[in-house]
Amino acid sequence: MMKRVFFAVVLIGGIAALRPISAHHSSSSYDMEHPVNVKGVVKNMEWTNPHVFIFLDVKDDSGAVEEWRVEGNSPNMLTRVGWRKELINPGETLQVNGAPAKNGSKVMRLISLTLASGQKLDGQGFK
Amino acid sequence: MAAVPLVLFAQTATHHPNPIRSWATLPNPDFSGVWFIEEYHRNLLPNEDPPLLPAALELFKKVQYESAHHDPDVAIDPTERCIPPGIPRTELQPFPWELVQARDRIVQIFEYQSLVRQIFTDGRGHPSDLEPTYMGHSTGKFEGNTLVIDTVGFNDKTWLDPMGLPHSDAMHVIERMRRVDHDTLENTYTIDDPKTYAKPWTATKTFKLHSDWSIKEYVCTENNTVK
Repeated sequence: MMKRVFFAVVLIGGIAALRPISAHHSSSSYDMEHPVNVKGVVKNMEWTNPHVFIFLDVKDDSGAVEEWRVEGNSPNMLTRVGWRKELINPGETLQVNGAPAKNGSKVMRLISLTLASGQKLDGQGFK
Repeated sequence: MAAVPLVLFAQTATHHPNPIRSWATLPNPDFSGVWFIEEYHRNLLPNEDPPLLPAALELFKKVQYESAHHDPDVAIDPTERCIPPGIPRTELQPFPWELVQARDRIVQIFEYQSLVRQIFTDGRGHPSDLEPTYMGHSTGKFEGNTLVIDTVGFNDKTWLDPMGLPHSDAMHVIERMRRVDHDTLENTYTIDDPKTYAKPWTATKTFKLHSDWSIKEYVCTENNTVK
């Protein structure tokens, strides 16, 4: 019984467990099974620990601009997979792929992004 | 002038009679280097189901529910508030750690939260008056090619993995670490915590050597938006 309950809990609460994703903000609050693509203009980037934040201005279908907070891994780990903070600057257009917050807020856990140049960067920092 | 390098060489040879030996032939296995989890998962992937006692199972289910419904900016997981992840979780985070072997101890330098763990290999035991800590008190001994690490003295403020597997201050962790090949370190964890689990259980993880990496500074509190 305990075995069955344990697996039920894991299946309900932790399908995302099968997917590698960095841990700081608990990734269980992000919908890892349904990542979204968002295109927007960089407003600001915070190249800081524990995680890098990119703030994107994104236009919705009606043309209204809403701000997304895109959260990647630490600068250390991102640097190891080719990131440099100079690669992302205000005013540039980015395409990001990430797991949106389950509570509907405009926050996502970055999986990967594509720069305007076409260069693709891993957002987790360990591939 | 030409004699100077020879003198230096002689001194080196005196202190390190045979410094050029492979990791496999050292008197004690050499695990030194920068290691990184081979495959990161949010759970500890036990070899068998963790036999949670009823109260611990309820706590685990509560954590699962809260984790799935909470605001990302409100902490559920202790590490979100920059609390040390404890053992074994600190080794399992998606951040590298370096193992340094000294005469009387082995030191792990974790990039995650810039934590340091000492594993005493000089034969001492655990102090009888241990104050509970996040990382516990560790002793180690070699059994052939395996380093056996014994850790006690934990508080109950950490999770065993990002899924929220609980433990108590009675936890005793035994690690069996061995180098399966030059680039691969395997660690098998036995979790013995009679206040939380009906019986001891084990999980195995592997780590890859990253010779071109060095441990960098990581300051968890720098820009932590979690409340």
